[in-house]
Amino acid sequence: MGLLALPAAADTLQVGAASSLREVGEALAQHFEASQAGAQVRVSYGASSLLAAQLRAGAPLDILLLADPRIAVELAEALGLPDATPFASNRLVVITRDAAIDLPDPQALRNPKIRRIAIPSPAVPVGRYARDWLERNDLLDALASRSVQTEHARATLMAVDHGHADAAIVYETDARIARNAVVALRIADADQPAIEYVALRGSPARAASLAEGWLHFILQPEAQAILQAAGVGAPRPRDDP
Amino acid sequence: MSDTSILPLLVLSLRVATTATLLSLPFGVGIGYTLARRRLRAKPLIQAVIALPMVLPPVAVGLGLLWLLGARGPLGGLWRATGIELVFSEAAAVLAAAVVGFPLLARACEQAFAEVDARYERVGRSLGFTPLRAFFEITLPLARRGIFYGTLLAFTRALGEFGATAVVAGIMPGRTETLALGIWSRIQLGDDALPLCIASFALALGSLLVAEIWLRRGDGGRERA
Repeated sequence: MGLLALPAAADTLQVGAASSLREVGEALAQHFEASQAGAQVRVSYGASSLLAAQLRAGAPLDILLLADPRIAVELAEALGLPDATPFASNRLVVITRDAAIDLPDPQALRNPKIRRIAIPSPAVPVGRYARDWLERNDLLDALASRSVQTEHARATLMAVDHGHADAAIVYETDARIARNAVVALRIADADQPAIEYVALRGSPARAASLAEGWLHFILQPEAQAILQAAGVGAPRPRDDP
Repeated sequence: MSDTSILPLLVLSLRVATTATLLSLPFGVGIGYTLARRRLRAKPLIQAVIALPMVLPPVAVGLGLLWLLGARGPLGGLWRATGIELVFSEAAAVLAAAVVGFPLLARACEQAFAEVDARYERVGRSLGFTPLRAFFEITLPLARRGIFYGTLLAFTRALGEFGATAVVAGIMPGRTETLALGIWSRIQLGDDALPLCIASFALALGSLLVAEIWLRRGDGGRERA
C-alpha cells in the first residue's frame, strides 16, 4: 500500500519522465520489469524543467527521461552526474488547420492566408527549436505580427486542431494525434534541429545496477519499437553534428 | 492514451484528502486554541508562518517539502538512517495536501475559539473541571461550528491540491495521481479531461451536502436542548 512510507526495495527503479512520454512510459516500464525478474519500475511524469528541479532538491529519481538535452547537461554539470544517453529523437513539422493551405516550402508561411500561427513559448524545448528554425529561415521577424505564443507542445497542437490558429510548428509525434490539423510541411532533414530525448542517471549511488540496466534496455530493439510505435524517432547516430 | 478509469483516482483523492484532514485536525485545533487563548508576543510571526502555504505558490510549497523530506535537506541524515523514503509516495501526497489545507483549518479554529467566551471555561474550572475536561466538555463543543467549517475548507483544499503534490509525490498514475493531477495531465496531453472534471465537481458537491446534513442535525439537537 502506497500510504506506508516503506523503504523502497533495492530492486525498485524510480523514473522521472517528460510528460510527452506518458503514452510510452507504462509500456516501457512493463517491458523492463518483464526483462528483469523482481524489478519494479515506478514512473512519475512532469515537465523536464520540473523533473530537474525535483532532482536538484534531492528527490530520489534514479533515471530521468528528459525532452531537453540542455537541461540534462546543466544537471550533469551541477550535480556531477554521468553524461546523459540519447535514446530517441523527434522532428519538427508545420501543421495547418486544413489541407486548403499549401506549404511547399518554409517561405510559404508568409502567405497572408495564414492569419495566425501558433508558436510554443521559448520556455519549453519545442518553443526553442521552433524559434531557432524560424530564425534560420529568416521568418521569425516576418511572422511576429501574426504569431501567438502557446504554453507548450500540446497546447500548440490544440490551437490549430480546434481552429484557433491557422498554422503551427509542433513535434511530429504531436501532429500524429491531431484530429483535424494536417501536416502541411515536413521540414527537410538538413533543416531539422537536433531534437533528442536523453536518459540521465539521477543518483549514481541508488539502484545502480537497475539504472544501468534501464540505460541499456532503452536502446534495445524492444524499447525502440515501443517508442517508434508512438511516433518517436530512433536516436541520432553519435557522429551527427 | 492508456486511460486509467475514474474510480481509482476518485478513491485515491478521497483517501488522500481525508487522511490529510484528519492528520491536520489535532494540530489545527491545538494551535488555534493556543493562539486564541494565549497572549504571545510572537503571535503575528506564528500566524504569518502558518499562512505561508496559502501565500506561496503551491510548487514552492512542494519544493520546500521536498527539501525537508529529501536526502539533501536538514533531515537527510534521519531519512537515511531509518531508510524511510517519503518522496514519491502516497504519504507525500497526504503531507502536501495537509500542509496546504492547514492554514485554513488553523485560522478557522483560532477564530472559533476566540469567539467562545473564556468565562465559560473559568466557570467550569471553578466547578472543579480540570483544564483538559473544561476544554473537551465546554470549549470544544461551543467552538464546533467554526472548527467544522475549517475542517471542510481544509478538506476541499486538499481535494483540489495539485502543485505541491506534483513536486513531492510525483504524478504517478495509480499511485499518486489524484483527480486534480489527472485533470491537469489530460489537459496537458490534449486528452479529454471532462469525465474527471465532472467527478471532481460531484465529489465537491457530495462533500458539501454531507457537511450541510451533518450541520442541520447538529442544529436540531441544539434547539431541542
